[in-house]
Amino acid sequence: MEKFIDHCCEKCTHTKDKPCKDFVKCCVEGPICHEDPACADKRKAIIEMVALDDDFVIC
Amino acid sequence: MYEKHIMICGATGCLSSGSTKVSEALIEELEKHGIKDKYRLVMSGCPGFCEVGPIIVIYPDEVFYCRLKPKDMAELVENHLVGGEIVERLLYKGPDVEAPARFYDTIPFYAKQKFNVLRNSGVIDPESIDEYIMRGGYRALSRAMEMEPQAICDEVKDAGLRGRGGAGFPTGVKWGFTNKAPGPKKYIVCNADEGDPGAFMDRSILEGDPHAILEGMLIAGRACGADEGYIYCRAEYPLAIDRLKKAIEQAKEYALLGDNILGYDFNFKMNIKEGAGAFVCGEETALLASIEGKRGMPRPRPPFPAQVGVFGKPTTINNVETLANIPLIVKEGGAAEYVKVGTEGSKGTKVFALAGKVRNTGLCEVPMGITIEEVIYDVGGGIKGGREFKAVQAGGPSGGCIPADLLDLPIDYDSLTKAGAIMGSGGLVVMDDRTCMVDLARYFLSFTQKESCGKCTPCREGTKRMLEILDRIAEGEGIPEDLETLDNLAHNIKDSALCGLGQTCPNPVLSTIRYFRHEYEEHINENFCRSGICKPLFNYKIDAENCTGCTACARACAVDAIKGEKKEPHEIDQELCTRCGSCIDKCRQDCIMITRVGSEADVSN
Repeated sequence: MEKFIDHCCEKCTHTKDKPCKDFVKCCVEGPICHEDPACADKRKAIIEMVALDDDFVIC
Repeated sequence: MYEKHIMICGATGCLSSGSTKVSEALIEELEKHGIKDKYRLVMSGCPGFCEVGPIIVIYPDEVFYCRLKPKDMAELVENHLVGGEIVERLLYKGPDVEAPARFYDTIPFYAKQKFNVLRNSGVIDPESIDEYIMRGGYRALSRAMEMEPQAICDEVKDAGLRGRGGAGFPTGVKWGFTNKAPGPKKYIVCNADEGDPGAFMDRSILEGDPHAILEGMLIAGRACGADEGYIYCRAEYPLAIDRLKKAIEQAKEYALLGDNILGYDFNFKMNIKEGAGAFVCGEETALLASIEGKRGMPRPRPPFPAQVGVFGKPTTINNVETLANIPLIVKEGGAAEYVKVGTEGSKGTKVFALAGKVRNTGLCEVPMGITIEEVIYDVGGGIKGGREFKAVQAGGPSGGCIPADLLDLPIDYDSLTKAGAIMGSGGLVVMDDRTCMVDLARYFLSFTQKESCGKCTPCREGTKRMLEILDRIAEGEGIPEDLETLDNLAHNIKDSALCGLGQTCPNPVLSTIRYFRHEYEEHINENFCRSGICKPLFNYKIDAENCTGCTACARACAVDAIKGEKKEPHEIDQELCTRCGSCIDKCRQDCIMITRVGSEADVSN
C-alpha cells in the first residue's frame, strides 16, 4: 500500500466504480470496516513518509 | 522514512526568482554526498514571503532559508544537512529583527497572520491528494454528503462567509438562490480570472492547494443541486492550470469526482476553461459568456446567474478564495471555529497581495478587522527606504485609495466601503510620498479604459473623456472646472454603466479627489506636481549648500544634464534634464529637490 487508494487487504473494496462512504476517514484513521493492526500500520507508514511534524495530520 | 523534508517554494513568484535552479543545485549537492535518498524534496506552494525568495523551509527543524542562490546549496548541504548546523547567513535578516530569524515564530512578517485559506500552502506537496487528505481534506465533503442541501447553505450563511472576489455578497445566501432555482441541470463556476494589476492571491491558492478548490466546488454542487462545474482560469496561470488538471485526475481516481461520489447518489463533472486574459471576463456575466464560447461581454442583470447562468441554467459563481474557505466551514465543528475570527459583519480571514513601496512584498492572510497600519507596518515591515507612507490602493482598479490619516481603519467590508474603497479581491498597493495621486488615478483609469469591453456607452466613452481630462491635468493644461466635470462623469458612470467593473472604475478618481483634492488643485492652479512625477510640472534643483560634489548624481544622469567639479556643488541644466529621477535616487545627501517650474523656491525632496 503506497497510496491511500491502494487496498490494505482484500477486505477493502473501495474503487472509483464501487466507492466506500467511509473512504476519506479511513485513509487516516482506518481501517474502519475491519480490525487489523497490520492494515492500520500500512496507513501509518504512508503518513510517516510525508508528515512534517506531529501536528501535520488533521482529523 | 526521511530524515528531513525540504520544502522549496515552487510557486510562480519563487520560480521566477530562480527556485528551479536552486532545486537542481540542491539535488546535485545531495547526490555528491550520496545522501539524496535520506531527504524528501518538495516543490511546494507559496509560503507568502515573496520579497525574500527563493525560499526553502527544512522540516522538522522549521528552519527558513531565503534569498537563495544555487551556489548556496553546497554550504546548506554541508553544514545543515550533514553537519547539523544552521547556516546563519542564509536566514532572514532585516531591520525588524535583532538577530537572524528562523521561522514563523521569529519573523515579524508572519507574526500577525492567521492561516485559514493558506493552511496547506508551503506545507504539503500540492500534487499529492494523500497529503491533502492527511491535512483534513475531503472530510467536509464526506460530511456534506450526509447533510440536506439547504442545511449546507444555512451553515455557510450562518458562518458569515462573504464572497472574496470583491462585492462581499453572503455566499450561503447565493447558494440558496441556486438551490431553490427550478430545473434538473445546474452549474458551479469557480472564478479564477484574477485580473487586478499586482494581485496574485488566487493564483497562489490554486498553485499551493488545488484540492481545496475542488472540495469547495463539490460541496457547493451538493448544496446547490449542481452536477457540473467550470473552473475559469486565465491562461497566464499555466502552473495553476497544470496543478488543477492533476488534482482533477487524482480526485477521479479516488472516487471523489465523477459518478456516485463516495458511494452517494451525487455526480459531479469538473471542467477547466482557460481564459484569454480580458479583465472584463472577471465580471460574472462576461465570464459566463466566455465559457459558452462567446465574446466576453457582460449582460444586464436580472436575470441573475442563479436563475439564468451558463448555457441558460441556474449557476453559482464563486471566487477561488471563497471556495477555499468552504471546507473549513463545513467540516465537523468548522462553522463554530470559523466565526471566532473576524468582525461582526466580516468573518474569517482575507488574503492580500502586498505590493508597491512596502518592504515586505508578498502574500499575507490576516484576520478581518486588523487595521491597515498593522498590515503595512507589522506584516509589510513599513515603507521601503524609510520614506513616508502616503496612501494605499485597496481593491485594484475598482477600488479606492486610503490616505495616511485613516491608517487605523479596520480592514473589513463595511469599513473599506465607507472610506470609499472596496475589499476587492485583495490587492493592496502601498504608496509613499513620491507617488502623485493624479498620476495614480490616471494609471488605474487608463487600465480600465483599455480593458473596457465597449458594450455600454457610459464605460466606453465616459472613461475615455475622464482619461483625457486627467492627461490634460498631468500635462499642466488643466482648468478649474475639470474637477467638477470629473466628479459628474464619475457619478454618471457609476450610476449607468452596465456591469460591476464599469460601475466601480471611477473609484480611484473619486477617492483621490476626496482625499487629495489639494494635489489636483496644485496641478491645475499652480502647475506643480509636488511628488515629482508629472514631468512638465516640476524641476529638479540641487541644494548648493548641502551638495558635497560627490558626483554620484552626475554619473547617474544619462543625458549629462548635471555639471560641476568634484567636491564642488553641482547644478542641473533644466534644458537638458529629462526629469527621469535617476539623480534623486543616487543622491546620498538628499540635496536634490523638487521645485516649481521657473521657481527658485525649494519645496521638498
